[in-house]
Amino acid sequence: MIMEKYIPINYQVLSVKNKLLFTIFFYVVITAFQLKPNVTFGQNLYIGAATVDITPKLPVAVDGQMTVRIAEVAETPLTANVIVLESRGENTTVIVSCDMVTVPIALKEMIQKEVKKSLPVLDTKKIIINATHTHTGGVVRDNRYNIPEGVTQVKDYLEFVSDRVAKTIVTAYNQREQGSVSWGISHAKVAYNRRAVYEDGTAKMYGNTAQSNFIKVEGYEDQAIQSLFFWNNKGEFVATCINVPSPAQIVENRSTVNADYWHPVREGLKEKYGRQLVVAGWIGAAGDQTPRPRYDEFAEWRMIALRNEKKSPDFATHTGGVNFRNEYHLKEIAARIIRAVDETYETVKIDKHETPIMKHEVNNIELPMRVVTEKEYNHALKMRNEDLNDPERAQVFSRRIVWYNKVLDRYAVQQSNPQPMYPVELHALRIGDVVICTNPFELFTEYGIQMKARSKALQTFVVQLVGPGNYLATKEAVAGGHYSAIVESNEVGPEGGQILVNWTVSMIDKLWP
Amino acid sequence: MICLKQCFSLLFLSIFSFQNYAQSDNDENLKVGWSTVDITPDKPVLVAGQFHARLSEGVMDPVTATILALESGEGTNSEKTIWISCDLVGISDGMRATANLRDEIRNRVIKTIPTIRPEQIIVNATHTHAAPYVASTAPVEDIYGVSLEQMANGKPAMSPATYISFAADKIAEGVFDAWGKRKPGGMSLGLGHAVVGLNRLQALKHGKSRMYGNTNSSEFSHIEGHEDHSLNLMYFWDLNKQLTGVIINVAAPSQVSEHSYKLSADFWHDTKVALRKSLGDSIYVLAQASAAGDQSPHVMVGSKAEERMQQLLGFGEEGTGRGSLAQRKQIAKRLADEVIDLFPVMKANIEWQPEFKHEKKLVPLSRRLLSPEDVAEATEEAKSWQAEYDRLKAEVRDNPVMIETPRWYKDITISYSKLRRGLVVAERYELEKVQPKMPIEVHVLRIGDAVFATNPFELYLDYGMQMKAQSPAIQTFIVQLTGSGSYLPTKRSINGGAYGAVPASTLIGPKGGDELVAETLNIINTMW
Repeated sequence: MIMEKYIPINYQVLSVKNKLLFTIFFYVVITAFQLKPNVTFGQNLYIGAATVDITPKLPVAVDGQMTVRIAEVAETPLTANVIVLESRGENTTVIVSCDMVTVPIALKEMIQKEVKKSLPVLDTKKIIINATHTHTGGVVRDNRYNIPEGVTQVKDYLEFVSDRVAKTIVTAYNQREQGSVSWGISHAKVAYNRRAVYEDGTAKMYGNTAQSNFIKVEGYEDQAIQSLFFWNNKGEFVATCINVPSPAQIVENRSTVNADYWHPVREGLKEKYGRQLVVAGWIGAAGDQTPRPRYDEFAEWRMIALRNEKKSPDFATHTGGVNFRNEYHLKEIAARIIRAVDETYETVKIDKHETPIMKHEVNNIELPMRVVTEKEYNHALKMRNEDLNDPERAQVFSRRIVWYNKVLDRYAVQQSNPQPMYPVELHALRIGDVVICTNPFELFTEYGIQMKARSKALQTFVVQLVGPGNYLATKEAVAGGHYSAIVESNEVGPEGGQILVNWTVSMIDKLWP
Repeated sequence: MICLKQCFSLLFLSIFSFQNYAQSDNDENLKVGWSTVDITPDKPVLVAGQFHARLSEGVMDPVTATILALESGEGTNSEKTIWISCDLVGISDGMRATANLRDEIRNRVIKTIPTIRPEQIIVNATHTHAAPYVASTAPVEDIYGVSLEQMANGKPAMSPATYISFAADKIAEGVFDAWGKRKPGGMSLGLGHAVVGLNRLQALKHGKSRMYGNTNSSEFSHIEGHEDHSLNLMYFWDLNKQLTGVIINVAAPSQVSEHSYKLSADFWHDTKVALRKSLGDSIYVLAQASAAGDQSPHVMVGSKAEERMQQLLGFGEEGTGRGSLAQRKQIAKRLADEVIDLFPVMKANIEWQPEFKHEKKLVPLSRRLLSPEDVAEATEEAKSWQAEYDRLKAEVRDNPVMIETPRWYKDITISYSKLRRGLVVAERYELEKVQPKMPIEVHVLRIGDAVFATNPFELYLDYGMQMKAQSPAIQTFIVQLTGSGSYLPTKRSINGGAYGAVPASTLIGPKGGDELVAETLNIINTMW
């Protein structure tokens, strides 16, 4: 890869002869560069990076399941990892990766507001905040769970996070220095499609595959591990963004605070590359994925046991399935990611870019909402009432009640507006030959694959959950049904999904004029 | 002091010998023998794998057969299995044509080693598309519509029938060698992951699918089916815990160099080179392709990024991207890295007396039910290809010097292959009426907690997933192409209508696929 800095030229001082020679030379050079694909011209890249602890005050309710779970213990810290990128004089982008289940709009706006106070010059629309989708982070979605008194409340936690993240953005911004970037791709088995399809055409999330009517795994899996690497002007490796198309929810059922697989990934990378390293975790399109195996479970379990306990599990006495919600599997998945990142780093560190083109587009568009049918409305009403009419269930399943209520509300809206629209914010950020494109959903992998396939970029980092989330399922998944593809889970349906893809591709296209 | 040292040495040797004795003096102990033979012909041969004929133009790297001889127990009652992995596109077995490389090998082996029964010999192909043609013993003119003499323009060339005999002789010698060298040993079972096989079917927004094509298109909807990136591994060790060889089972055919006119074992060659460099020149690598009828090693999405990585890895000397050596080396690196990564864990977990059972069964499968419309469509296509073939044939007749042009036969052999492909649909339609079931050979081999289950097809991945998911084994090695092949597609692929799922590409349809899964699982279940 050839890198070229823009050098202003004072033509006035050149003689006519020199002018002619220089013009010919300039023409030849420019033509040569035009013939060579992917040659990029940009401004010097400035980089600032910092990490902040956003572990909530205990006890805290943790977000991500239907039931209320109160954590008394923080098994790992939760962090927000901030990287500020400035293409000197042109663009400044802030990347923030948070150990949380989603990023509510309210939280994003609180962070933007706080940052604006200290850095009025910064365009806060260009702050990209994503969630790693850990299901063992503090509750960030208001009015979803009945959180008892004495437990950290959502409002307090949001204030705490926004304050800390905003301050860290300011710190990283102020510390930015000239540096370089590279990018690369490797592969690791982290994504397992969690939807099983059966002979009768129905699908089931986490459905059993070891039964005779299982016919296939519903959709694709994307095992690409894409990375961005940033070095400061001393050549020190200071930050990385790692794009994994599988959510961080190995220990999703625990009533503890845990950053899930990103914690051992970060610790493993820091151990190797130094404590200064800031690791931003990006989840790719992974609405239908899980980091836990869906077949070959005993073989996977055995390999983990051989590595960690130096012996095979006693299968003869074992009954039931395999529980991968444990430390060994966290370690296993982290090791796979680290290996892929290491391999990529070692390969691309010879291809650093100091002046990559950097362009950042932010679009706010509306997608057609999935329409609630009368049948779906009646089902939601019945289910909601069953929970609501039982005081114990009403407390434990408060989140589920909200889930059904939203369907009822949508149906009510449809009476006057048959096709409501869903607003989304989309980012497309070009850095050199690669692009980062975001969406707020738990986006089924196939949409991400379409974006990657149709993108003009050498590498396309699809980042989901840059926003409040909810599943965006494919047509096949909707036909198969079950959680993650039913109306309660989907505010936007396959029609909106295709519009999202097309819009994202057109945003990318504009970055490669 | 010296005396003390000698005493210690003797004591150590005694303990070591006793251990060896303890491991070997048991009827159920495993004996393992390996060999590999070069089956590269010394004359040009037809290269299998494309519609058009290719007469080989040299050797990129040798095509080989790797033989693993296994025996559990002693004497006539011992369980024996000879596993032969060949760098070939398929293993002719009489299912599709008269050629039968599998039985040619078996006959030679049992003649010399009468204690081995034919059904104890399993032969699989890696599906390299740059290896000699073994699907038919017919004259080349009957296969491709052009004689071998014309293709070779009078220069020496080896016919498929001669090559089959040559390969069978060589492979049989390899079996004798492996069987003769078998020694007490152990095995360990491992599961890794590597992205090698990629689903090559692209579902388009209008509901139909295609094999390959450009995914960078607004009509591309999604990849039609699943991928399986698990790597089933079985390591074999001698009594000194030295690695002797490894079985690598990957859900991908080895067809990176699928358009080559030079003979090649494809990425398995590079994988073996990489592994021998790290684990020792003497180790053997036995390659198996798991269910992968809808898979290929070709990158469907993100190929430019992969090319850049190949370049940066230093593999780009002879080009990057689809069909390149760089891509083969990248795949080899992924496979070798995983095998090497698991090596210490595997060495620490060797089984010396694994359960060993081998059963072969002829399983009757329903032939694909074709419709009169399928026949009419295929016959119509055949007619147009007949016209094209006749036209090209006349061209050769009128201009005989054209055969001096290298590869002059490409178009005419395509037309003849497609003509035959069209006609075969009508034959299959008629055959289904009188012989609705077709028997196929299925082997199930249990070694310890693992099971190997074979089929002769290019089996679509979903069937393999069904077998793996329902198998009681800890690891299930599905091994496709232990026969002459033909795609076995799923229902959704037939609806998609891509190459591989059309009537001309298939002998068996989804009904037969379901039967294959059920019957294979039945056999596996009897072993647990």
